[in-house]
Amino acid sequence: MKKTINILSFIVSVNILTTQSVFAFPQFEKFVAEHSGKPVNCAMCHANDAGPIGNDPGQLGSLTKAEMEKVNLARLALKPGQKVDSPILNKFGNHIIESIGTEKFTQLLAKPEDLAKELGNQSDLDKDGIPDAQEYLDGTDPLNKLNGDPSKLFVINVQRNAWLLIYMAVSLYFIYFGLTNILKYYKLNKG
Amino acid sequence: MTTNEKIVNFFKDRFPLEKFFILDLLAHKEVPVHKLTFGYYTGGLTLLFFMIQVVTGIILLFYYEPTISDANLSVEYLANFIKGGFFIHNLHTWSSSLMIFFGITHFLMTFAMKSFEKPREFTWITGLLLLGITFTLGFTGYLLPWNQIAVNATKVGLQSVQSVGQLLPGPLAQIPKTIVSTFQGGDEVGQPTLSRFYVLHIAFLPLAVLILISVHLLLVQLHGMSQGVDKPSLKVEKFFPEFILKDLMAWTLVVGGVLVLALCLPFEAFLPYPLLEPFNALGPTPGGIKPEWYFYFVYYPLELLPFPVLVVLSMIIIGILVLSPWIFRKTSRKILTIIAAIMASYLFIITVFGQQIYSYLKP
Repeated sequence: MKKTINILSFIVSVNILTTQSVFAFPQFEKFVAEHSGKPVNCAMCHANDAGPIGNDPGQLGSLTKAEMEKVNLARLALKPGQKVDSPILNKFGNHIIESIGTEKFTQLLAKPEDLAKELGNQSDLDKDGIPDAQEYLDGTDPLNKLNGDPSKLFVINVQRNAWLLIYMAVSLYFIYFGLTNILKYYKLNKG
Repeated sequence: MTTNEKIVNFFKDRFPLEKFFILDLLAHKEVPVHKLTFGYYTGGLTLLFFMIQVVTGIILLFYYEPTISDANLSVEYLANFIKGGFFIHNLHTWSSSLMIFFGITHFLMTFAMKSFEKPREFTWITGLLLLGITFTLGFTGYLLPWNQIAVNATKVGLQSVQSVGQLLPGPLAQIPKTIVSTFQGGDEVGQPTLSRFYVLHIAFLPLAVLILISVHLLLVQLHGMSQGVDKPSLKVEKFFPEFILKDLMAWTLVVGGVLVLALCLPFEAFLPYPLLEPFNALGPTPGGIKPEWYFYFVYYPLELLPFPVLVVLSMIIIGILVLSPWIFRKTSRKILTIIAAIMASYLFIITVFGQQIYSYLKP
């Protein structure tokens, strides 16, 4: 079975490398939408929210020769660890290729749920405290620190801002204490 | 004379507020104490959030660019690159929702407590106008970030208003169209719309709120607190300083809560990320376009009921609300409390479970 998958992924990889035809991978988008229950689009990994096909900015039809070379270099990154900068991908898309390589990526077409496991929990590109792999599963934007699962973001931010929250609470108490005493003083004076 | 007394006297000499009759009113004002006393705090809390809106809104003006090319970028820039920018923007967003929440609560409480009873008819009507303007502030502010959800939800909102014209007879049919074209400023939602919504949001509507709130508060002071319950409460407390002190406590707790939210929970986290992308007129409309939560009570019925039914129903409800002081003149507060509880239940259910109800009825 594993051998068959490897052969299949090799064929897909060769296809990607040798033809100018365009490959979009809706398997991932479909999985994320179903898993998270949220509407998602290609902008999670691609430069253009409509995906790589077309002539708009961030799509293959709009690329210069130099940019096309970058796309091909990314396609050639079969193994993990190679620096890629494909203009049709965003930072997260390029990070996926750098982390797992195109060979593994094509294998995951049949099991898009395993992408999170392959990415691991180390990377957090938007530094919001939620790992990119988790954001992939949650259907949130791994490149936007303000977008994430609300409950997770809240807990993380409370921990990050603990001291600030304490200062705020103390300041509010002093303001309340001061105003209350001004009012009480005024009442006593009137009385 | 102590130092404290010297400071107080210094300011008292320069600001002889005792000559101002409002202070005299405050000195004699009393608040009935009964099971619904907490309702008296809701108006103050709405006012508090309006003040937060004004302060944070003015700060946001330093960075916001009201052009369709830069509006989204300026909001992104503010949130990501300006120190404290995210906090102020998030505080503005959270407090707008809380202002509407407390505005609705205040409306329900005053209805249940029959606070519109003679001679408070105009207090009620100015309150209803203020609530309407608060919703309009929310609607106009929603467009300003110029992202997918902002523009598409505004389009839906304006189209709904225009559709009302089809149901009106004769020359009246032109009124909704004229309103929409006035605010839209063209055939489609574009730069003229953004400019007009911007002016409405930052100048016209806040000014209208200030004027109406002054009248509303003046009337509240002149008439005093309403009785609130059918059997007049024997227990009362002085408005100044007893009630004010409790109000201050409520304000402190609520401000604490909203500061925690503004610092720790981005309001945008509740929206799917494709809806937060800059509006692209040429691109496809992303799924999940919905108005803000405080419009769900109109939005879901709009999706489920035939449009003419909804329009007629809305007109009747608005008419009843405006004429409440006269329609419910002889109705007991017990009955009004039941009606308010039904309204509150509807608002809660449609806001929290609206999507599930919609999916169930229209799979």
